[in-house]
Amino acid sequence: MTSFDANGVTLERVREFVWELPREGDMRSPARVLASEALLEQIADDKTLEQLRNATHLPGITKYAICMPDGHQGYGFPVGGVGAMDAETGCISPGAVGYDINCGVRMMTTNLTYSDVQGHEEELVDALFDNVPSGLGGGGIVEGDIDTVEEVLARGVDWALEHGYAVEDDLLHCEDEGMREGADPSKVTQKAKDRGKNQLGSLGSGNHFLEVQRVTDVFDGEVGEAFGLEEDQIVVLIHCGSRGLGHQTCNDYLRKIERHHGGLLNQLPDKELAAAPAGSQLAGDYYGAMNAAINFAWVNRQLIMHRTRRVFERVFDRSWEDMEMELLYDVAHNIAKKETHEVDGEQRELYVHRKGATRAFPAGHPDVPRAYRDVGQPVIIPGSMGAGSYVLCGGEASMDLTFGSTAHGAGRLMSRTQAKQDYWGGDVQQELQEQQQIYVKAQSGATIAEEAPGVYKDVDEVVRVSDALGIGDKVARTFPVCNIKG
Amino acid sequence: MAFELREHTADIAVEATGETLEETVAAVADGLAAASCNTDEIPPDTGDRFDLTVAAESREALLFEYLDELIYLRDVRLELPVENRVRIRDQRPEAGDADDEEGADDADDRWTLEGSARGVPLSEIDAREVKAVTYSEMRLEAVGGESGSETAGWEAYVVFDV
Repeated sequence: MTSFDANGVTLERVREFVWELPREGDMRSPARVLASEALLEQIADDKTLEQLRNATHLPGITKYAICMPDGHQGYGFPVGGVGAMDAETGCISPGAVGYDINCGVRMMTTNLTYSDVQGHEEELVDALFDNVPSGLGGGGIVEGDIDTVEEVLARGVDWALEHGYAVEDDLLHCEDEGMREGADPSKVTQKAKDRGKNQLGSLGSGNHFLEVQRVTDVFDGEVGEAFGLEEDQIVVLIHCGSRGLGHQTCNDYLRKIERHHGGLLNQLPDKELAAAPAGSQLAGDYYGAMNAAINFAWVNRQLIMHRTRRVFERVFDRSWEDMEMELLYDVAHNIAKKETHEVDGEQRELYVHRKGATRAFPAGHPDVPRAYRDVGQPVIIPGSMGAGSYVLCGGEASMDLTFGSTAHGAGRLMSRTQAKQDYWGGDVQQELQEQQQIYVKAQSGATIAEEAPGVYKDVDEVVRVSDALGIGDKVARTFPVCNIKG
Repeated sequence: MAFELREHTADIAVEATGETLEETVAAVADGLAAASCNTDEIPPDTGDRFDLTVAAESREALLFEYLDELIYLRDVRLELPVENRVRIRDQRPEAGDADDEEGADDADDRWTLEGSARGVPLSEIDAREVKAVTYSEMRLEAVGGESGSETAGWEAYVVFDV
């Protein structure tokens, strides 16, 4: 196949798994989709391609707007989208970061094996569910006041370290050591802080979850060893973001941009793409606020991880240090970062927007934490609660092909309303337990139905494409044991 | 006044209709509640009503601000707003359609919405989180009558991030 037609959009095949939407009309760059034909069929099934084309209208977009193999329709910018805008002449777009700023995933390793956990699954899932706040209005692990929120926004995981919710080693295994430079709490509105103060250390709902998993395969022994992964080992995966504080920050800035940069907004095909021109007051303010929200999300995941250590201590009657419960890595998948990339032989500063995409810097990159610099940045790709998840490492080709990015998950296939018609939460829960020995507990049966394994794309296929393109290389696969969600 | 929940791959959309702008906007807010929980299971007499006021420079922006405020109040009051009522005032009725100029600020807000809702404590219901209102594909428009000349009612379409 040399081209692919979908609802009036024609993609040209560049090479295997690389499809290009040529520049035309008001597009400022071409767009690319990285997918197998099977995934492309699914991507073309909703408004993903239209949204990807719209994203190329953003000023300063460099090379091309890119859709990852797990891409699907979002709002404004597609989920699974990567767009790098020139940091001097381009723009920064809250809509291209997404509502849940620094929504992301972290994985904690342990020295437990699956057999250590078998027989304790029910106790473990109940204890996690009772101790990790989830759902709507469930409170947080820390009942903070505004001063606490300000500290968290400014200092990130360093705040958690000072207050006994983290150890030094946790910081060394987190992007930016858990503290984003340029975070400016004064640019986060009072409304956002009000929402954040009773949600610090909470999962939320939707597709967020905490999952105990077992490692089923290690594909790359050398990198697996560097990541501390081996077959049959128990690991914990935590997926959540900056909660109401991040959501409010996104909308606060969408509105500010609408009020102050209406001229630019009117040139864009979708209001949700609202962008502040690079160098403007609002671009600087949003970057400061977003960086602060990134810190909030890191602390959120840190608090949940630390609470999980305590739960394991009670269930297994051993100290967490004895169980070697250590942070493998924390990846953000809704974020914009000022990064330096080589474009046409020139070093350029770009705002790299990753919305539903993960940074995947290869071995040797100076921004990869020292612990992993020889093998590449760990990338964690969660699958659905009935399928495996993957650990990858940043691939050699990522800098050239995707501004150092890869996929972020399986990607949704089916709408939430359709899912609730097709599935009933209780049945899904029972089937997972009886057929796959996966113990699931959620605040709401509807959430289980909406997150049923059948609503997601095939994570194996997403990872196959990432691995084949060399943007994120397969290291290990894990499979769920217990899962809690909102 | 009526609303329907519409499909969206990752999120959820509310489509609402009403005879007036106010009815339609209130119906979107009721749709937001329905997207958050099974409204049949909401206890009828729990929670007190509260008031809210928002202002914006255009009708669409007013709808956005209103829904954003409801989500904010849900998180800080720990209550789900249901049975929404809305009064909308256009403070410059003589003016033409909102034509926002670059650099406009709060002073140019001509549209005001005074709303009220019953706040059902989240602890009493099985509700899930709607993260935010979005502008994506948003529509708020008058629809013509059969003759095509007069306004028969209003329609709105809003995508929420879940």
